[in-house]
Amino acid sequence: MDKPAVQLDRVSKRFRIAEHRVPLLQRIGRWTGIGRGDASAANWFWALRDVSLAVLPGEAVGVIGPNGAGKSTILKLLAGILRPDGGRVAVSGRTAALIEIGAGFHGDLTGRENVFLNGAILGMSRREIRAKLDSIVAFAGLERFLDMPVKRYSSGMYARLGFSIAAHVDPDVLLVDEVLSVGDALFRLRCLDRMRELVRNGAALVFITHDLDQMQSICRRAVVLEGGAVAFSGSPRQAVEHYLGAMTRSYVARPADVGACGGVGAVELAAFRVGAPNDPRGNWITSGQCAEATLELRLARKMDDLVVELNLRGPCSDGLISFNSGRSGARFAAAAGGVRIGLSLPALPLAGGQYFWSVRAWDRDRGICELDTPYGFPMFIDDGGKATGSLCLVHAWSFASAPKSSDREDLMMASSDEVATSRGVPHEALHLR
Amino acid sequence: MIPDIALGGPADSARRIERGHSSAAFTHLLLVLAWRDIRVRYKQSLLGIGWAVLHPLSMMLIFTFVFTRAFPGSAAFAGGIPYPLYVYSGLVPWTLLAGGLSGCVMSLVGNRNLVTKVYFAREVLPLSCLASSLADCLIAGTVLFGLMGYYHLSGEYSFSVRITVLLLPLVLCIQLALVAGLGMLLAMANLFYRDVRQVVGVAVQLWMFISGVVVPVPGDGSLFSAFVRLNPMVAVIAAYRACLFDGDRLDMFGLAIAAAQAATILAGGWVLFRKASHRFAECI
Repeated sequence: MDKPAVQLDRVSKRFRIAEHRVPLLQRIGRWTGIGRGDASAANWFWALRDVSLAVLPGEAVGVIGPNGAGKSTILKLLAGILRPDGGRVAVSGRTAALIEIGAGFHGDLTGRENVFLNGAILGMSRREIRAKLDSIVAFAGLERFLDMPVKRYSSGMYARLGFSIAAHVDPDVLLVDEVLSVGDALFRLRCLDRMRELVRNGAALVFITHDLDQMQSICRRAVVLEGGAVAFSGSPRQAVEHYLGAMTRSYVARPADVGACGGVGAVELAAFRVGAPNDPRGNWITSGQCAEATLELRLARKMDDLVVELNLRGPCSDGLISFNSGRSGARFAAAAGGVRIGLSLPALPLAGGQYFWSVRAWDRDRGICELDTPYGFPMFIDDGGKATGSLCLVHAWSFASAPKSSDREDLMMASSDEVATSRGVPHEALHLR
Repeated sequence: MIPDIALGGPADSARRIERGHSSAAFTHLLLVLAWRDIRVRYKQSLLGIGWAVLHPLSMMLIFTFVFTRAFPGSAAFAGGIPYPLYVYSGLVPWTLLAGGLSGCVMSLVGNRNLVTKVYFAREVLPLSCLASSLADCLIAGTVLFGLMGYYHLSGEYSFSVRITVLLLPLVLCIQLALVAGLGMLLAMANLFYRDVRQVVGVAVQLWMFISGVVVPVPGDGSLFSAFVRLNPMVAVIAAYRACLFDGDRLDMFGLAIAAAQAATILAGGWVLFRKASHRFAECI
């Protein structure tokens, strides 16, 4: 099973930028050599350049990246819809591509008829579809609506039926492109379960999504695409850090953006700084040391009760801590004009990595958000490699020789009892006691 | 067992992509898409599939009115066959061609979401349009046999079933090959220039009048008649009538030439279609 199910070998793909339907006269001019020469390289756009990727059977690989990075182009190449302009694409086995859910559904046909139609389009035989019909319908939860034309389906029902059919193809290669965002939370979980099951059974999965948590929960490996090239390839968590880091850097790199923030806009963010006091490294902070965040705001009008909230997000965009001046009991009464607000943290026990601060401000009397920075300002924590996860708490280890074997058996029995009674004590915890 | 498939890069464009789509899956998809076309065409319509009969039947009434009432006696060319039978026996295969081509021409452009989002052998799209037209044509064809029975029983024109009836499927196959080849070419052409669709509508009408559907083509040896006889549909329509009615002898030589023309168009159309098909998703 070492042979990759999916292989891209230095694949490039270009698209024409200019509309290729050149007016007929111009085209005749081109043929006869009277008119302008053929389209120059400037008229082409390289969607992918020298991209290599291999996915083994039973492996799930996530592909993330900003819009226009070439993610969907990769999937279309793998599905055979597009052909590369350079390099080789090799896919072995039966492929199911979920590039658009319910592609090929016809609104006038009933749900049942569309199952047969879509199943055939995805390459299932009639007998196969008939055998799986009940299971498809049950998975989508549409038993009652099976004989209703799909034009009367809600968009969620439509998407559920579409995913359910594709999930029953039993593919060797499953290609999924950002299609799970329509269903409700429960259905999304079931889709992820189904995808995991297919991967466990040996399918190779290429998963494109903007839902980074979803990607991390399924994939063992991830690729970050930027501008049509692989910018990073490695563990999902590192890939997400790379992707968010690049995104934030490109955002923060433009100073004008500090002012151009969301919210209604009576409060403007003029400056934001975070760092250890008197530390020349700027936004580098040693874990456990004190830190200060300072922000300068410009107020368009007088506010008797200004509330400022600083949110700290982790490397994977997960919300960690929120500092809210109102909840902390601070009351800022500010006249129109500039104010400077500081947040002092005597100790910041975070694990090493990149974090992001974002700022919000309210005028409590009006109750509307006046300022909301969408991405955030980066902060780097240096913990000397001591911790993974989010926090680097003060801690100590102890070490002693193991207990006698008779004691250990008691311990083992105790532990299995604990597990059996579902008290949630992990097996290892008892050994470490 | 599904073999390993390599999708060629630009260097080996000659390699074909099959990707687990066996011929059985191809046929299944073709039939399902044809069934979709028929189902959708007659859904929410009162007469439903009846339109497959009503359309050629109403054309028959119009032409019969023109040639027997508006200009009485002008239909002597039918060679003793009652004119309604003469024209209907031409119109039924003609609806296969006209319906097939008008479906084919839109088959890629009209299924844009399939072409750009799902992979399957693209030939399925025009060929399924042809299959759904064939179904319409066969339904309209049963009415032809009803009409023949009516004329036979009323004594106006008597039929004797001859062995040549067995050649009908062969003639049908020749016509199908011709329409399939043209359909693939037109579907592809319409992808690049949407004008094709407009041209096809007019051209098919003109084509009908020089194919011997309504009036026979001139057989006087003139340059025009020689030119018109390059048209394979002349031999095909004549062959249908020769198989059904006693009037004409079957022109085996003409039919053989038409078969060769149809085979050439089918092969050429299919090869070009396959060569261009990997560009469809980008050009659509």
